[in-house]
Amino acid sequence: MAEMKLSFIYRVAVTKGEALRYISHLDYAGAIQRAIRRAGLPAAYSEGFNPHMKISFASALAVGVTSDVEYFDLEMTEPLPPLDVAKRLKAALPPGIELLELRRLRKRKGTLMAEADEAGYTVDLPLTGTAEQARTAVAAFNAAAECVFHRATPKKTRDIEVKQYVAEDVALETDGDAARLTMKIRITPTGSVKPGEVLSLLVDRFGFPGDGKAAGLCRRSLTGRGKSLLEIDD
Amino acid sequence: MIELTPDLLGAVTKPARYTGGEWNAVRKDAAKVACRFALSMPDVYEVGMSNLGLKILYEVLNCRPDTAAERVYAPWPDMETAMRERRLPLYSLETFTAIREFDFLGFSLQYEMCYTNVLNMLDLAEIPVRAAERGEGAPFVVGGGPCVYNVEPVADFFDLFVIGEGEAVLGELVDAFIAWKGEGCPEGRRGFLLRAAALDGIYIPSLYEPRYDEAGMFQSLTPLHPAARPVIYKRLLADFDAAPAMTAPVVPYIGIVHDRIMLELFRGCSRGCRFCQAGIAYRPVRERSLPRLRELARQMADATGYDEMSLTSLSSADYSCLEPLVDTLMTDFAAARMSFSLPSLRVDSFSIELADKLQQIRKSGLTFAPEAGTQRLRDVINKGVTEEDLMAAVGAAFRRGWKAVKLYFMMGLPTETDEDIIGIARLAKKVVDLYTEIKGKRGVKVTVSVSCFVPKPYTPFQWFPQNTLAEFDRKQRLLKEHIRDRAIQYNYHDARVSRLEGVMARGDRRLAPVLYEAWRAGAKFDGWSDQFREEYWLSAFGKCGVDPAFYNERARSFDEPLPWSHTSPGVETGFLRREWEKAMAAALTADCRRGDCTGCGVCQRLGVRVVDGRRKDG
Repeated sequence: MAEMKLSFIYRVAVTKGEALRYISHLDYAGAIQRAIRRAGLPAAYSEGFNPHMKISFASALAVGVTSDVEYFDLEMTEPLPPLDVAKRLKAALPPGIELLELRRLRKRKGTLMAEADEAGYTVDLPLTGTAEQARTAVAAFNAAAECVFHRATPKKTRDIEVKQYVAEDVALETDGDAARLTMKIRITPTGSVKPGEVLSLLVDRFGFPGDGKAAGLCRRSLTGRGKSLLEIDD
Repeated sequence: MIELTPDLLGAVTKPARYTGGEWNAVRKDAAKVACRFALSMPDVYEVGMSNLGLKILYEVLNCRPDTAAERVYAPWPDMETAMRERRLPLYSLETFTAIREFDFLGFSLQYEMCYTNVLNMLDLAEIPVRAAERGEGAPFVVGGGPCVYNVEPVADFFDLFVIGEGEAVLGELVDAFIAWKGEGCPEGRRGFLLRAAALDGIYIPSLYEPRYDEAGMFQSLTPLHPAARPVIYKRLLADFDAAPAMTAPVVPYIGIVHDRIMLELFRGCSRGCRFCQAGIAYRPVRERSLPRLRELARQMADATGYDEMSLTSLSSADYSCLEPLVDTLMTDFAAARMSFSLPSLRVDSFSIELADKLQQIRKSGLTFAPEAGTQRLRDVINKGVTEEDLMAAVGAAFRRGWKAVKLYFMMGLPTETDEDIIGIARLAKKVVDLYTEIKGKRGVKVTVSVSCFVPKPYTPFQWFPQNTLAEFDRKQRLLKEHIRDRAIQYNYHDARVSRLEGVMARGDRRLAPVLYEAWRAGAKFDGWSDQFREEYWLSAFGKCGVDPAFYNERARSFDEPLPWSHTSPGVETGFLRREWEKAMAAALTADCRRGDCTGCGVCQRLGVRVVDGRRKDG
C-alpha cells in the first residue's frame, strides 16, 4: 500500500443470546456498532459523504437463530491494550450480547468472511412421533446423495442442492419427547445452506416427526480450516 | 410473567417488536416500587417507540425510586391473533408483566384514528373497555397528548386525562396514588379519582355529565361533584430549560420511524397558522439554552451510541441560536461522525444554507409546506410564506445540488375556490420550471402531497364545516387534471379517513357507542391505509343512529356551546374569533415570539411567558 495509514484491528468473539434471537443480522450489526460508540472506542471510519464504521462480520446469522460464538473485526485508529478495549466494550454491550474474547491481530489479513468455512449448529425441537421414526428420517437424509431445497424469498426463488454443504452426518439425540439435531454446515464462496432449511427438508421430505415451528436453533461454532477464528492468526 | 414461545414468535412478522430487552430499558423489581405505570401509544412498536413525549415520561417516571414505568404498544394484527389464540394477555416489554397488573395504563393520544386501538388494547389486556365497568383491582386508564383538547368521544373509556405537558403533572398524580394506596385505598377507585380531580391539569370524565337539548344540540358538560372543576387548563413547564429532560432513551434493536437522537430545542410555536392546533396547544414558545442543549446532546450520544441526531421542534429553524448551536454540535461530534438533521425546514434560503451545512441527504429531497396554492389563501390561513420565498428557497436548494422537492398542501380550507386548487398545480409547475432554468436541463422531481383539511378544536377554524367527501373528491380530480408535467408526482390522502378524523376531532360523548361498535365489528389501525375499513364505521354510525355529518360538515354558530370547552390550552375564545375574522379578511397576524403580544391569552391565563434568546425583553 502506498499510503501507510495506521490502523489497528481487533478480532472480537461475542454471543447472540436468546433475547436477540429474532433480530436480523443487519440489526445485530447495528446494535454492536452502537455499543462500540457508547464504549467510546476510537473506531475507524470510511471517508466520504456517508462515513461507515470499519467493522466486518464473519458470517450472517439467520433470523431466529442464536449463537454461542460470533466474530467481528473492528478497525481502530489507536492501539489500545486489548484488555482495556474489552473492558469498555463489555460495559456497553446490550443484554443478549456477551463478550467472549478479544485480541488484537498482528497483521491485516483477508476478510473474516473469507476465513470462516464451517459452522456447527444444534436444533432443539419437540418430537411429534417416536424416536425410531426420527432416527430413520435422519439416517435417510444422511444416506441421500442429493437433496434439493426450494428457497423462496420475496424477490426470487431458486433450487439449492443442500448435501454439498453438509460437512458431516447430521447427528440425533433424543430424550423423551425432546430431540436435538447437530449439524455441520460448509460455508463456501458460492453459497451455503441455513440450518432451518436442512430442518424443513428433514421434516417435509424425510418425515422427521418434529414440530419445526417450535424449534430452537443455535450456532455452536464457526471455524476456518478446522480452527477457531481467534486462533487462525497464529 | 408472560412467556413467548418460539412457535408464537416464529410465526409473526417482526417478532422483535414483542421481545423487549433493549439498551436503556429500565427493569425494576415490582416488590420494591409503590407504583407501576405502563406507558403506551396505541400503535405499533416502531411508531410508539418514536414518540418523544413517551420517551420523556418514561425517564421522568423511572427516575423515581418508588415508581416503575414500562412500555407496551399495539400488537400488529398477526400477533394479536396469535395472542388471542393462546389467551396471552397484553404485557409490558420490560418485565413481561400482564398490563392488568399495573396501577396505571397511560395512552398517548396523538391523533383520533388511534381510538379503536385503545379499545382493542384494553380488551387484549383483559381490562374492561368502559371505565364504568372497571373493578377495584383494575389499572387507572390515563389519556394524554394532543387529543386531550377534545377527548369527549373517548371519555367513557378513560378514568382520567392529563391536560398539557405530562412531565408537569405525572409526578403529582403518582404522589397522590402512593398516598392513597398507603392509606389503604380509602373509598376505593372513586376515592382516588376524587383526589386526582384536585390536581391542576387532571380531568376526570366520570365526574361530569353532558346535557343536550331536545333538538340534540350540546348544551353543557355539568359537573356532578364539587371536586369537578368547570374548566381544566393545561399544565406546562414554565422553565423548560431547567426541567428534567430525556438523557438516556431506549435504543431499539429494529429500525423505528424516528431512529435517532431527538434533541428538543424548544416547546411551542407561535407562528399562528390558523389551521394548526399544535400552534395553540403548546404555546408559549420556551427555548432551551445553548449550553443546556449541548449538555443534553452529549448525554444522549454517550448513552445511546446513535450516529444521527435530529434537532427537533415544531419549527426548528426558528430557534434563536440555531447557527451557533449547529456549529457547536458539529464540532463536538466531528470525531464521532454524528450526522444531524433539521426536520422542519422553513421556506427561506437561511434554512437551505443550514441544510446544506448539515449535509442532509440529497436524494431524499427537501420538504416545504406552503399549505395553500395561492397567496390569498395563504394569507387566510396566516401562513406567512410568499411565492417569492418559496422560489428563493427551492432555487437555493437547486443551486446547491438538490434534485427533489416535496411540497405539502391542504385542500378544503375556509374560503377555498377552484382557483386555489389549480394554484397548487401552477406552483408545482413553477418549481419544475425554475429547476430547468437554473440547471439548463430537466431532471427535477417535485412531489406534491395534498391532505384533506380537518378543522380542529381550539383553532380559529373550529367553527368551520369540513368539506364533504364529494367535494374532496371533486377537488382531488380537479387538481389531477391540472397537473400535466411528468416531473410532478401527485399524492393525496384518503378523504374517508380525514372525514372520520373530522368527526372525532369535534365530536362529543355520543360518539362513544359508535367507536365501540366499530371496534366490535373489527376496526383497528384506522390510520393505516391498508387496515382501514370504512364499512365498519358506516355500519356503526347506522346502528347507533348517529349522523357523522352533524359533527364535521355542519357550520357551528359562534354562540353554540362547544363540547370541548372544559379541557383548555388557555387560549381565549375571543382571540380565536378575532383570528377567524382576520382570516375572512385575509389579514395577517405576526408571531409573538419576538414581536408584540397578539392577545391569545395563554401567558396571562397560565402565568407563563415566552422564552426566546432573541426576544428584546427576554
